[in-house]
Amino acid sequence: MRMRTGISSWLWRMVLFLWALTILLPLFWIFYQSLKTNQAFFADIWAFPEHLEWSNYEKAWTSLGIGRSAVNTLYYVGLSLLISLFVSTVNAYAFTRIEWRLRSLLWSVIMLSLFLPGINILVSQYTLMRALNLTDSLNGLVLLASLPVGAFELLLLGSFMRTLPKELDESAFIDGATLFQVFRKIILPLSMPGIVTIGIFKFVGLYNDFLGPFILISDPAKYPISVNMYNANAMMEYKADWVTLLAGLVITIIPTVIVYVLFQRRIIEGATMGGVKG
Amino acid sequence: MPMLKNARLQKSIFLFIVVAPAFAAYVLFTLYPNALSIYYSFLEWDGIGAKTFVGWDNYIRLFHDPFILRALGHNLILLVTVIPITLIISLVLADLLINRAFAENSFYKVLYFFPNVLSLVVIALVWSFIYDGTFGLLNGILRALGLGGEHNWLGSKGTALLSMIPLYVWCYAGFYVVIFMNAMRGIPKSLYESATLDGITHMQRFSKITLPLLSGVIRVGVIFLMLSVIKGFEYMFIMTQGGPGGATDVISLYMFNFAFGSLNLGQHIYGYASTIGMMIFVLLVGLKLILDKFFAKDSIEY
Repeated sequence: MRMRTGISSWLWRMVLFLWALTILLPLFWIFYQSLKTNQAFFADIWAFPEHLEWSNYEKAWTSLGIGRSAVNTLYYVGLSLLISLFVSTVNAYAFTRIEWRLRSLLWSVIMLSLFLPGINILVSQYTLMRALNLTDSLNGLVLLASLPVGAFELLLLGSFMRTLPKELDESAFIDGATLFQVFRKIILPLSMPGIVTIGIFKFVGLYNDFLGPFILISDPAKYPISVNMYNANAMMEYKADWVTLLAGLVITIIPTVIVYVLFQRRIIEGATMGGVKG
Repeated sequence: MPMLKNARLQKSIFLFIVVAPAFAAYVLFTLYPNALSIYYSFLEWDGIGAKTFVGWDNYIRLFHDPFILRALGHNLILLVTVIPITLIISLVLADLLINRAFAENSFYKVLYFFPNVLSLVVIALVWSFIYDGTFGLLNGILRALGLGGEHNWLGSKGTALLSMIPLYVWCYAGFYVVIFMNAMRGIPKSLYESATLDGITHMQRFSKITLPLLSGVIRVGVIFLMLSVIKGFEYMFIMTQGGPGGATDVISLYMFNFAFGSLNLGQHIYGYASTIGMMIFVLLVGLKLILDKFFAKDSIEY
């Protein structure tokens, strides 16, 4: 009896290990291939590199355009993150802690977006952006990604702010504080944990976003990193410089790994708490 | 009371600065395009020239278009494979992570979730390298095991669509592992304890106690996965362009190609693309409503 459970226990342990391997093996494989020459890569896909070709990374950074697109991504993600966090926070405050006339109506109009699949508006959103002269512009991308108030962010931050006691604002008002002061000095610091969670999510979403920039940006000099990698891959049909592409792939993964290692608990908790981001 | 008046003024200014622009942007960039896409679906329009109102023509074309059915068929194949496989794998993994005290479990929990934060383009390119016909990882493994390894997985009609299934499962499983682990933690220990006294095996415990208690979470999982699989076309767009010979053309990709693809010799067909978009919209909302009805909503009480 003891033996049997021992064997089955090891079997199950193998199952867990194999699933882990499906994630680790491809990533590790890509990393060490990216340090080979093209010849060595074509000759044997298992052999470890004899000499580490770090120059692949240099080539990816310059000739694949990763460097330039990294700057674009930094601008697009950074600015969008700042603006959208500001928009989400002040709106969550306005919708949960201030009484006003149209509040519940506007709230339900915003929540409507949770039921809209979004896939049907690719064309119309593009023509709208084009009519407003916002295509082929990183600022256009930033505007689209940050200014419209998001239902998901509002729900999450709103539920966070509702837990703060009402007396906080009231006593501050009695002491003569203005609305702006109450928001900046009291609500903002206390909501920080929620804002950070939203921020991490926004970062991952913005950094990974492909379809939006792909549709709206056609000038390669303005590509963010995701579209740049897509384009580099499409060009490999003619260049066949695979190790450089792999090096570019590794560079693209690095920011994700850093953010994930730093914030993994928050990310996992937030994903399942929000859950509904469909 | 001047103080009060002042406070009201402050409130109005604050709301005007804060709510008005963000709400206006939401209406303009999210709601308005939804209305606009209905209008577009009745047009013949290449995006540049004049818009011609063609009434129901695009909708009639939709019903006579054999590629629509083919694309929907591909979606169906993905749905009936990806959803059950993802749910089964993540249920088993979650159960193992919760109920077996292996030292490496806490690391696995973090690792399994990792594909969820990877960028879509990265995932698509990684899997392109896995499936490549000459220097792909999968063929390399098969060769090492002496099982052939010369197959071009994405380039052959027979395997291109099927090759997308492991990719989807790989992407989604980690998320549901976490969801199911949280749900399993919510099951009272006393239920398991009394069952263990009755001499129940691990397997029975899983199928008789855990699974029924998770039916509510599984239902939500089915709906989310369904929406993701129908909406998602980026992997096919990046990895196969819907090919070879339309073998991986799914409905959203078919729509996308009319509007933005290079397959129509640079011609954009916004009207018909919007009509297909309307069909997908109705399909998604309809399926969601049906599923909500179909699965009993009453979750089991402990």
